[in-house]
Amino acid sequence: MDKLLRKKSNIILFLAPAFVIFSAVLIVPIITAFYYSLCDYKLNSAPTFVGLKNYITIFTDDPDMKIAFKNSIFFMIFSIISQLFFGLILAALLTNIKRGRDFFKNVYYLPCVLSSAALGLLWYFVFHPKYGVNKIMENLGMLENANEGTLWLSDTSGFIILPIIVISFVALWQYVGQSMMLYMAQISGISKDIYEAAAIDGCSRTQAFFRITLPLIKPMMATAMSLNAIGSLKFFDLIFSMIPEAMRGKGGKANVIATVIYDQGLRFNKYGYACAVGMVLLLMCLIVTFLINKFVKVESYE
Amino acid sequence: MKVDFDDSMVEKNKGQRQAVKIAIYVLLSFLVLVYIVPLLWIVMSAMKPNSQFKSAPWSLPTGMEFGNFIFAWTKGHLGNAMFNSFVVSTCTLLISLAVGSMAAFAIAKLRWKMSKLALTYFMIGMMIPIHCVLFSLYTQFARWGLTNSLLGLIIPYVAFSLPITIYIMAGFFESIPNELFEAAVIDGCSVPKLFFTVGLPLAKTGFMVTGLMSFVNNWNELLFAMVFISDDERKTLPVSLTKFVGPHSTNYTQMFAGIVIAVIPTIIVYCIFANQIVEGLTAGAVKG
Amino acid sequence: MKMKRVLGLAMTAIMSFTALAGCGKTDGGASGGVQEVTFMVWDDLETTEDLISKGYKDSIERFNKDYEGKYHAKVVSTNLEEYYTKLNAEIQAGNCPDVFIVSPGANLNDYVLKDKTDKPIAKKLDEYLNADGWKATFTSDAVFAGGTYGDEATQGAGIYAIPLNIAAACVFYNTEMFEKAGAAVPTTYSELLDACQKLKDSGVTPITISAGTAWCLSMVAGYLCDRNGLNLADVKDHKTDWKDAKVINAAKQIQELSQYFQPTAESDDNDIATAAFYDGEAAILIQGSWAIGQINGSCEPGFEKKVGVFAFPAVDGSSADPNRVIAKSDSIAMSADSKNPEAAVALMKYFVDDTAQKYTAEQGGKIPVTKVQYDENVAPPELSYVMNVFKSANATFGFYNESLVDSEAGSTFDSCFVDIFKGTDPATALDPIQKYYEDNVWK
Repeated sequence: MDKLLRKKSNIILFLAPAFVIFSAVLIVPIITAFYYSLCDYKLNSAPTFVGLKNYITIFTDDPDMKIAFKNSIFFMIFSIISQLFFGLILAALLTNIKRGRDFFKNVYYLPCVLSSAALGLLWYFVFHPKYGVNKIMENLGMLENANEGTLWLSDTSGFIILPIIVISFVALWQYVGQSMMLYMAQISGISKDIYEAAAIDGCSRTQAFFRITLPLIKPMMATAMSLNAIGSLKFFDLIFSMIPEAMRGKGGKANVIATVIYDQGLRFNKYGYACAVGMVLLLMCLIVTFLINKFVKVESYE
Repeated sequence: MKVDFDDSMVEKNKGQRQAVKIAIYVLLSFLVLVYIVPLLWIVMSAMKPNSQFKSAPWSLPTGMEFGNFIFAWTKGHLGNAMFNSFVVSTCTLLISLAVGSMAAFAIAKLRWKMSKLALTYFMIGMMIPIHCVLFSLYTQFARWGLTNSLLGLIIPYVAFSLPITIYIMAGFFESIPNELFEAAVIDGCSVPKLFFTVGLPLAKTGFMVTGLMSFVNNWNELLFAMVFISDDERKTLPVSLTKFVGPHSTNYTQMFAGIVIAVIPTIIVYCIFANQIVEGLTAGAVKG
Repeated sequence: MKMKRVLGLAMTAIMSFTALAGCGKTDGGASGGVQEVTFMVWDDLETTEDLISKGYKDSIERFNKDYEGKYHAKVVSTNLEEYYTKLNAEIQAGNCPDVFIVSPGANLNDYVLKDKTDKPIAKKLDEYLNADGWKATFTSDAVFAGGTYGDEATQGAGIYAIPLNIAAACVFYNTEMFEKAGAAVPTTYSELLDACQKLKDSGVTPITISAGTAWCLSMVAGYLCDRNGLNLADVKDHKTDWKDAKVINAAKQIQELSQYFQPTAESDDNDIATAAFYDGEAAILIQGSWAIGQINGSCEPGFEKKVGVFAFPAVDGSSADPNRVIAKSDSIAMSADSKNPEAAVALMKYFVDDTAQKYTAEQGGKIPVTKVQYDENVAPPELSYVMNVFKSANATFGFYNESLVDSEAGSTFDSCFVDIFKGTDPATALDPIQKYYEDNVWK
């Protein structure tokens, strides 16, 4: 048995196709991108090696990156916490009801399968003062003139600006279903006997949630949090389709790391610099995933 | 696997229980509104003439007006685009499932020292910023003559779908008790046969989950599709939709109609697979 | 067993790829001796409502018909937002389209200048222009200004792009609203403020503008800088800098004017802002003359009769020439690596032949670049106003965001002025562009 499962030829046979496609399409270009990140690389030209220059600029001399780090890190922390919180609550509520569970669950998961570019356009109109929420408030008499209400997507006051907060909530709306599903799956997997035993010992349902459910779904928490962290650090689509161009372009207050990569690489043809920012992003993803798995996934349920 | 607390747990106060239950349903129903209203709003707006949308964006459409849908469908060649999207998404799904589940099986059930490392290696794929690899990939594909063809789109899509497929499928295979495999091995099963006869049937639900995820992701993908495909006849749905967001176009309702058309297939696929998904995730999460 | 079927399906799919990949390669090659040229453009020519884009479609159809069996033009289109991404990807992959549309200025620089690219991307066109008297059909040599480069260009001094039409940035106004408010057409900045105040008092939004799409606001900023006497060449040569009193003055004027903008200016993108003028919600729209094509293409019938045009006012007390006009031309360039340069040139000629240029003026409402005679009675009435503004202009200059050293500098300028508009102190708000020049230009 053991010998059969250890056979090298089998391992190679099963792993090779995925390994080849994955490496050729993603790993080779990312290694090239790492090399480009050490270069000045212009359109239609050969890259010239400049060492760590791009990285030094990123951390010391690029105001856009300062804003992007601030927004992306806020966005990541917000996503991790809010999705953990609301995902767990939804999962706990849904596993506790009988009737309509599938319906609710399917509705909450629905936005995950829709294109974020299309949803971004929808939310752009919802938060546009002329058409969206302000108009509703005007119709309800809460605002005299919709046009003079809050500028949800272009207000720039405060340390974390309003558009980023709005986007954070839209992202929560769109992706909380995913976290909910993951938690639900794990909760449903917990043996009923444990709860029964706890109930007999006089444990209330709330207590059961904190003392039994939470510890038992820790491994899934680590998984869901890692997925959230990676997704929110790489976040691009909603920002691109919701935020006015002036706010997410060069010098914009609503830039995130991915929009800087887009601008530098695809609009201003500075591939070397864009690749360096991309490498920083990749490294951040790795570090955050590592930390989450180290501190959240202390012990797994056996 | 459903947990039914109502029958199994002792509660003291029935009235209080009922109140809590109602509160939960009210809350959940309110959330349903938060989810459904914006989506209905697009459908409603798509049925209005543009001028009505501008003057009264939240009013109900005056009639069932399908002019915008017809315009979007015919002028935007959305039928053709939908076919392309379907071909690309389906092929990607089949290949990534086949290739990904094999790799996941090797990682979860075959015994070798570096299997954890291999999983991490594939995980890196989720963290790669695609704007960084876009140009080098395109240059490479141009050299291979793979640009402007659907195949040239399927290959990168497969690669991007692999990490999540492998990650989830590995979880599924891991949850299958080793005893089942041991029994089969004793009966003289080879490893490929083990994969087909024991592994795959037990991980069926995993296919549903990863299949749906990969399908909708690729159905919605814009950036690669836009750069890799030049010919109108081979453009996918998200690319064709950008036609309605032209430089000087302010015809929002036509744009909404296009979006609705593009979204319908994903909703259909979702409705078919939605219930299996949770069962799938549930089964995947159960540990031996 | 089910899974085997799935795998079987996968195999079938893999087989069918070969077929798919196969059809990917059938075109592009010379089939039956027909030379194919690709033309890349930033609007989908099938679905577009823009009259100028429709004109391009017509030129291509005529070309394909006239040269049937000899040349064939294939159109590659994207939306505007992603145009340069796609074009640059093609260039990077060695597939530069034979003819592509491009904005002169910073964007064209990327394809011509030595410090932007090692290998030239756009081809020098002088030899074609000088043959057959082609160049003589154009209104004057001045129309080529945007595509002309000096010795700094890789292939030597010459013309690298051919203009297709000219749009002048003017002030469009709703004559009905002006009349009602008793406002007069302003010729100076203070008169403009005066007119705006009257319009505001009469209960309408005086100016509609987009600060969400940065270049719209920066077009006004460009005008104000120029009217205050700023010379961009001086900035580039570091004879002055971005903290010049002229720029600061322009910034203060933007802040002063902003009280007359619609309250949602910050969030509105260009489409929404211009629509407010077309829908009769605002009295003044400062916009390129491509607006004419939109007014006639998508506005309520009869609206065009209410529209008047005047030149951007002078700044009181400034010695700068008030008769300078911001002009922008859509241009086409040819790939330096084109395999069929003759076919490409033949195609380019179809965009500037009499039929196309007549269409440009009469239908598209843009200023033609050739000496073509067009029927002024057919052309939209606003064109004659724009022509008046344009003809009385002593000189033209480009959009600031396209006239600075590169597109990144242009974007930086744009965002500085969006900040200024939002109320940041001008001297602080101009720091980013000052720094960009210190780091990249004045070294």
